[in-house]
Amino acid sequence: MRRRVVVAEQPGVARLLGSRRRAYLFLVPAVLFFAVFIGFPIFSVVQASLAVHDTASRGTGPLANFSAVLHDPVFWTACKNMLLWGVLTIVIQMVVGGTLAYLIETYAGRSKAVLRTAFLVPLVTSASVIAIVWEQIYAPEYGPLQDILGHLGITMSNSLLGGASTAIYAVIIINIWEYTGFSMLLYIVGLHRVPSEIKDAAMVDGITGRRYITRILVPLLSPVTKSLVMLGIIGTLQTFPLVYLTTEGGPDHASEIFGTQIFRTGFILDQTGYASALSVITLLIAFAATVMQIGVFGARLTVTGR
Amino acid sequence: MTGPVAGATPARARISAPPAAPATAAAPRSAAAQRSHPGGRYRARRIWLRARRGMVITLLSVLAVIWLLPIVYMVSVSLRTPADVFNPSLVTTHVTGENYAQVFADNPIPRYLLNSVIVTVISTLIVVAAGAMFAFASTVLKLRYSRAMFAAILITLMVPLSSLVVPLGALLKQFGWINNYLGLIMPYAALGIPFAVVVLAGFMQDLPRDVFEAAVIDGAGLWKFLTRVVLPMLRPSLIFVAVWQFITGWNEFFLALTVMTQNQMMTLPLIPQQYAGVYLGNPGALFAILTFVAAPLILLFVVVQRWFVAGLLEGAVKG
Repeated sequence: MRRRVVVAEQPGVARLLGSRRRAYLFLVPAVLFFAVFIGFPIFSVVQASLAVHDTASRGTGPLANFSAVLHDPVFWTACKNMLLWGVLTIVIQMVVGGTLAYLIETYAGRSKAVLRTAFLVPLVTSASVIAIVWEQIYAPEYGPLQDILGHLGITMSNSLLGGASTAIYAVIIINIWEYTGFSMLLYIVGLHRVPSEIKDAAMVDGITGRRYITRILVPLLSPVTKSLVMLGIIGTLQTFPLVYLTTEGGPDHASEIFGTQIFRTGFILDQTGYASALSVITLLIAFAATVMQIGVFGARLTVTGR
Repeated sequence: MTGPVAGATPARARISAPPAAPATAAAPRSAAAQRSHPGGRYRARRIWLRARRGMVITLLSVLAVIWLLPIVYMVSVSLRTPADVFNPSLVTTHVTGENYAQVFADNPIPRYLLNSVIVTVISTLIVVAAGAMFAFASTVLKLRYSRAMFAAILITLMVPLSSLVVPLGALLKQFGWINNYLGLIMPYAALGIPFAVVVLAGFMQDLPRDVFEAAVIDGAGLWKFLTRVVLPMLRPSLIFVAVWQFITGWNEFFLALTVMTQNQMMTLPLIPQQYAGVYLGNPGALFAILTFVAAPLILLFVVVQRWFVAGLLEGAVKG
């Protein structure tokens, strides 16, 4: 920590080399990509949300599209689903991923790499593959899940993905299976960054077992936890392929989320105004979450556990 | 309840658990050890610790196998004859390669693979290069305004892709990049750069300062300084960033769905959905496609995971 303060007080290398103007060229590629493919689209989607009118717009004012979105019951179903999605996936993935990370790093020894890889494989598998495999797993009559439930005397009348009350949970389970490895990975990094002095001090003081985990590890790993909450919120907001490919937001909008609603209105129904307004609302939620994160946690996003 | 001390140094371990105790046996006040006969105390504790370690590893292994079942099921179904396909069992008794033969004969599978390789490799190269340059300028060179630009880049990390598909689609149409590799390469690069910057900047801050001064005295130019001095020291984190970008780009679905509408231009993640209807009556063939789409990345990851995890754990090469 102290070293970084010292570094900050020193002049940048560019000044020492006496070639500051040319040094700015290093910023150009990233800034160009940012401006054209992220900055400009954000600008144009805000503009479209206010200016474009389509068959869904309510009235003719600049807020006609936002009014349409807010008066749409499907939007509120989507909000409820995303809240459910965010809370369940973030909490469960964090707890299971953190536990796995702790157990693997503490006990696994030589089998570490194999175990880590097993839980990371779903993360590197395309959601479009995962969606279809799980559709088969959930299938009534011949699916493997029915096979297991059959031994318990339970018969599914239709797929969990097809029931209005079960669809969103069925997709959430798939998401948890896919992304728990990611939480595990970040916690593994965090565990490796716990200074050995702290481990030693805790041991000398006789702090072990459950108390070591709750009083020392959990607080020390809080930067990772904060990052996972933040990444989890963003991940929830941009969820799309899993839901689109398993339920398409159905049955009858029961598992609708922002992504599927934006895709249907923007690309299938050609309601660009509605889709843009919903995009802007998604952006605002992400922005609010970021501000809240900085305000409440006072943390910068970190993937390196510091 | 004594696991965490496994990482303690042997010297410390000897202080709290005197005679010939290995580091793992240093945990005090284990319930089993308390109850046992004083003479066999350390041995009993050692046996208890070893047994518990064995139980945890067994539990983890069982869980890992359960975690992999959907993948195993996918491969298993892809190797079945039509008669066997609707069997819920995980084991395939009559293994056949017919499904793969049929799928390859019917569809331009190598073309989809080529599309994915072109899009992913080029966007990954751009992300690593542009990300490293930006991180270098803002962290090592500390240029004026670079701090503000760094903050802007951080905010970009928070922009969900789903809010950008509509305007990006319109922009790419104006550029004439629908059904064009550039229509995916450029947005993937733009979306990947912020993460690369954050990771690389984090590790660049940790680089030893005296190396920089030595380079200045040598009179290396900025470009040479970046490519010959800074980047070689960051090799593990560069690999991590490249692998991460490769995975996300290879699997990206939402934007690809809106940009690549012609069959010939589709990337691999779009293929399963294309054929889900075609092979409705023959899941064996569909699962052969799924396996083919998933396999390249899973195999690649199994090979590179060692460096991938190391890149996260180490960051910069120390020394």
